[in-house]
Amino acid sequence: MAQMIAEAVSQAGRNFVESLASFLPRVATTISIIAVGWLIAILLRTIVRFVLGWLRLNAAAERLGVAPLLRNAELPPADAMVAAIVFWLVWIGFLLSGIDVLGFTALQGLLSGFAAFVPRLLVALVILVIGFVAANFAWRATLLAAVNAHVPSPRVLSGAVRWLILILAGAMALEQVAVARTVVLTAFAIAFGAIMLAVAIAFGLGGRNIAKRILEHQFPEREPSGADEMSHL
Amino acid sequence: MAEDSLLSDELLRHLMAVGQVDVLVGVPTLNNASTIGGVVRAVQQAFATYFPRDRAVLINSDGGSTDGTPGLVKDYSLDEAGTVTVSHSLRTMHRISSPYHGLPGKGNALRQILAAADLTQARAVAVLDADVASVTPDWIAALIRPVRDQQFDYVAPVYTRHPLDGPLVTHLVRPLIRAAYGWQVREPLAAEFGCSSRFVTHCLEQDVWESDLARYGIDLWVTGAALAGGFRCCQAPLGARVTASAVDRPGFQDVFQQVVGSAFLVLEPHAPYWLPRMGSEPLPIVGPPFPSEVCEAPKVDGSRLTQTFCRDLENLQSVLGDILSPETLSRLKATAETDCTQLRFADDLWARTVYEFLAAFHRGVMRRDHVTQALIPLYLGRTGSFLIQFAAADPADVEAALEALGLEFERSKPALVEGWNQAIPR
Repeated sequence: MAQMIAEAVSQAGRNFVESLASFLPRVATTISIIAVGWLIAILLRTIVRFVLGWLRLNAAAERLGVAPLLRNAELPPADAMVAAIVFWLVWIGFLLSGIDVLGFTALQGLLSGFAAFVPRLLVALVILVIGFVAANFAWRATLLAAVNAHVPSPRVLSGAVRWLILILAGAMALEQVAVARTVVLTAFAIAFGAIMLAVAIAFGLGGRNIAKRILEHQFPEREPSGADEMSHL
Repeated sequence: MAEDSLLSDELLRHLMAVGQVDVLVGVPTLNNASTIGGVVRAVQQAFATYFPRDRAVLINSDGGSTDGTPGLVKDYSLDEAGTVTVSHSLRTMHRISSPYHGLPGKGNALRQILAAADLTQARAVAVLDADVASVTPDWIAALIRPVRDQQFDYVAPVYTRHPLDGPLVTHLVRPLIRAAYGWQVREPLAAEFGCSSRFVTHCLEQDVWESDLARYGIDLWVTGAALAGGFRCCQAPLGARVTASAVDRPGFQDVFQQVVGSAFLVLEPHAPYWLPRMGSEPLPIVGPPFPSEVCEAPKVDGSRLTQTFCRDLENLQSVLGDILSPETLSRLKATAETDCTQLRFADDLWARTVYEFLAAFHRGVMRRDHVTQALIPLYLGRTGSFLIQFAAADPADVEAALEALGLEFERSKPALVEGWNQAIPR
């Protein structure tokens, strides 16, 4: 009996040692992949930042109005942002590759899922950047044109244009990464419809007088500046 | 580019028939039927009266007029009095009208005129604005003589006008050009000028003719090229300048953007010339002064302009924050917070504002047309403030105030140089 127990314990011990012997190299491989991946990610981050600096991405970001938005959000400059995105994408890729080597059934498939997610994420980021640039450009163009044309409440008008484009870009980006796709689409449709409905109701039925008073306050009559009444040259 | 590739076969044929000339007068046109007759008459009379022994030609470069302007130039016949005058001329006076090719705009018209002057080896060239109703033979003489007789290379006009008139010139372009180039030019935007064959060749060699600057700001570019090119420059009094009725003219905003955009653009290629220069010298005035005419002050309510400034400054703060330094912006805000109907826009604040806009335009902090658009309300504030302050003042006092503004632009120039050289963010 004792011999049988000793045999079982010994067998368990041998099995454990064999498992450990086969698992430890995989752990070492995982650690190596993660470490090498980290080094490669750092190298790529440095290279990307150098190349973007050479291409004057920050100056372009200033011109396009992205840089002030990043500053306001207390985010790093545009070149550092792109370099950081590259770093994390590469390192997460290596991290998942390393985990895959361990052979945990529960974690298998993460890498293929991440590989499928990255292109969508990149497209979403591009949509967001284009949205930011377009929103900022449209905001400034609307504001300047409205101010110089003496349109009432130019800030309200230009702000509305900017937020409309930003919301549209945000919804498109979320739809691209498939984060709660149905919820996003539904929320966007409801919000957009609600705004339009509220405007229609305000103008049409309930609270016509209140809407009138608010609009009169918000959009006061503006006299022409008189700039066109003289020769400037 | 060789002249023959700029000139059409027909124009080349005409010019070869004319041969070498002493005096060439160029008139770019586009639908100027109402005024072109007076301009052609003045040119013909000037040829006969002032240059009877010279070989002279009038070249009209037309941008595709639909009102028969080229026909009027070709078929123009002098009236009786004119014929008597012309009969004193000892040489044939030629008149050529030709359409120009390429991009529409005054730049290409002027390029064709200069190419024709180069080909005919004209000793002296005068360019006139076909839209001006007050051109007289004396104008042509005043622009040609300093070149022909005194070896000047470039002659800028001096118009007789009230010092409150033309604030875009007097408050922005004139002091800016003065402080930048170091030369005091009264009318840097003038469409009329005289020049030598040396200057013609220099202009034709420059890489400007295909640009927007050639289309919208060629007059200012010519002035800048003469000042920065080290040519002998002078000014000639022409008297009052009266233009035809402004039915088809662009509105104030378009004019402002074209003029300010051109003024800022012109300075870029000439930066190596003007950045190290400090102070200024007056350009000599050559020729008899015109009898002083009483010019009326513009009747504009300055307080309406300043109220626009106060309102728009608040609306534009987020845009101005990207263009102006925090100190300048806070001073502007403080100015706008005073009684807008009695607003005082100080000279040094205006000079600093213009310089910071110019630096922002140069560094490309945003689209360039947005930079110039954002300057409009500030310009209206400055103009309105000056009109309020000097509406009832003696013209001499107004001139003194404008001179003080010019000096302030000169004093503040180091700030412009600093802003201009500021590194673009990396």
